[in-house]
Amino acid sequence: MFNATMQRIRISSSTVNQICKSKDCHGVLIMIPHGRRCLSSSSCLYGKVFPRKKPRVVPEITGLEPVTYADRMHFVPGLAKPRFPKWERGWKDPNHYESPKPEQMKMFKDKPCYIFNQRTSVVEGVRQALWLSKSAVIKEFPAQILSLAEDPANQIEDQDERVQNAIKSALLWDTTDDQPPRERYCPMLVHRLLHLCGVLQVRHPELAKRMLAEKYNLAATWRRGEDVFQVRGHNGLLINSMNPLPVLAGPEQIQGTADQELETFFPIAPTIDLQCTNVYQEKSTTGFREGYPYPHAHTLFMMEMGNTPKLLPEQLRSKMIMFCFGNALVRAKAQYGDEPRVLEKPIVVQSVATNGRIFQFVVFQLNTTELQSDSGVKNLVWVDEDKPLFEHAQVRPHIKRRVVKIPAGLSGYQPETFKKFLALFLHGAT
Amino acid sequence: MSVSLLSSALRALCLSGSRTVSSQWAGPSAAASALIGCRGFMTSACQLQNRTLWKQREKYTIRPIGMKKTGGRDHTGRIKTHGIGGGHKQRHRIIDFQRLRSEPGKEEPVMVEKVLEVRYDPCRSADIALVAGGNRKRWIIASQNMEAGDLIQSCRGIGRMAVLAREGDAHPVGALPVGTIIHNLELFPGRGAQYIRAAGTCGVLLRKVSGTAIIQLPSKHQIQVLETCVATVGRVSNVDHNKRIIGKAGTNRWLGIRPSSGRWQRKGGWAGRKIRPLPAMKSYINLPTAAARA
Repeated sequence: MFNATMQRIRISSSTVNQICKSKDCHGVLIMIPHGRRCLSSSSCLYGKVFPRKKPRVVPEITGLEPVTYADRMHFVPGLAKPRFPKWERGWKDPNHYESPKPEQMKMFKDKPCYIFNQRTSVVEGVRQALWLSKSAVIKEFPAQILSLAEDPANQIEDQDERVQNAIKSALLWDTTDDQPPRERYCPMLVHRLLHLCGVLQVRHPELAKRMLAEKYNLAATWRRGEDVFQVRGHNGLLINSMNPLPVLAGPEQIQGTADQELETFFPIAPTIDLQCTNVYQEKSTTGFREGYPYPHAHTLFMMEMGNTPKLLPEQLRSKMIMFCFGNALVRAKAQYGDEPRVLEKPIVVQSVATNGRIFQFVVFQLNTTELQSDSGVKNLVWVDEDKPLFEHAQVRPHIKRRVVKIPAGLSGYQPETFKKFLALFLHGAT
Repeated sequence: MSVSLLSSALRALCLSGSRTVSSQWAGPSAAASALIGCRGFMTSACQLQNRTLWKQREKYTIRPIGMKKTGGRDHTGRIKTHGIGGGHKQRHRIIDFQRLRSEPGKEEPVMVEKVLEVRYDPCRSADIALVAGGNRKRWIIASQNMEAGDLIQSCRGIGRMAVLAREGDAHPVGALPVGTIIHNLELFPGRGAQYIRAAGTCGVLLRKVSGTAIIQLPSKHQIQVLETCVATVGRVSNVDHNKRIIGKAGTNRWLGIRPSSGRWQRKGGWAGRKIRPLPAMKSYINLPTAAARA
């Protein structure tokens, strides 16, 4: 701005005579010869700054129409600014589409629905998922499934070595950088482990009656109390099978859950953090069409990579429970109908979630679809928390003061975690 | 540029409308930005400026919001307040100062909430607490001994007997016993806490007289408010805030405080002890205007 000022003065007159150097001028007040001051350039800095005036509020008087300059087609001082009606395009332009308000949408309902989707992160974690699915929790891995893994006939040759190779190939051998990003190594590890488990198909031909599916849309609806709940959206990687999973808990254990109380967490409502919407459709679909040869959901694999909102282990377990429950509920409704009832043959769905290193195992058994009240038979959940597959997998060793703290390569491998993984995979096929 | 020339030409034609010397030249920057949101030439300064858009959010959220720093400059670009500028980037967490704000659709005389976490807030000296109650979560100013897992109450009614005040609970001032330590004081009922919000501060409820209460503020001034104004019991968190040592000039710069002038101002009046009588008690018991509704 100062250069423009100087140019303007050069145009108007000759050399600058004197530049005022007093403390107020900041060296800008310019005196042209003959004592004339060039105020058009420096006056902006010395002008008084007026505070912003609030715009004049024009009163709306019903019955009186203000005289506007709309007819004159140009601004006229003294006349009011015309207000034109909102311009309608007349045709639907997808780039400039304004969706109607929720109240005007076709599927608007007065009663709100609380939806659990793949981005939900509930604040109360597993307790909230248990309340929503009316379940009782058992904090250990089910023993029958564990015995499957202990059986030497069910183990792969060189199991530990092959699993360690799988981990190394996913974490260490994939890139020339130190470690590939979690979005890359987590799905790769899960697929490698699944492939390794599939090697046993030679011994157990039942394993062939399974199918992998990803990105299928689940929709499950149920009512608890006066509220409507739904589980919607993509769940993760699913293994479907032709035959349902065998029941884990006997009838005595199921009847025993009827005496247990559902845990509430006052003052927090059980619907907190769920997406509340008035525009919804009460759907119940497995995500697959009628006549799909692999109708029964077997195991759900969830990979937590921190890109959709980062889930803490507690929230991840609650997400696993809710999605298992959703899958089991739609299977029950497809088989037995929409009437709420206690199932004679409970439905079992398994789930494994990992963040690349730590595994969570959940087995869900749906005993009843009578979810309206808080009393009665409850569903059962077995939760096995925070099982690491290995401790560290680094290319470079971590050395502090000439002592190796973390060695290079894979360290701290835990074979039990893969045994549980394999057991869940084999469950229902042996 | 052409817009400003046209507008100045039209302004010359116009009979009314204020002519400001500064706006002729600060014109290109202020008028251009001021005209972003409006269509006509002669509208007075439009309110839609990108510099304040981050604070125009209507819906409450607990998600921190990115802030734009002003550096002490006002809408013309000149420094209005010296000594502000730079500093670490901060994200603004919207604090709910109205403790008795119920969820839409639910009106209860007593609200119970659970404290989920207490954390540092870069925008204020006090710590803030994330509390959850019913179906919603919100940020409030944390009191001194608040920890994650505590249950806090907010009550609306004033009983005949004074309530046993627990730290962190919010009650109308008329329901608290005389002599309680309070903070987050409302001046007009329903407007939200405006006084006693800084770290470690507390006020004292001095006496209650006929529907009003007299409170001593941390500056030892006394004010009189209606007894339905809500205050929270206890001291504000981060009590040792005034004992911290800045240590070096760089820390002040990280806080966004630019160096002051350094020139000795003869009539500054800041040095030396001042012994003055307390001013008269200020009374806020007139009816609030339409602007008082939050």
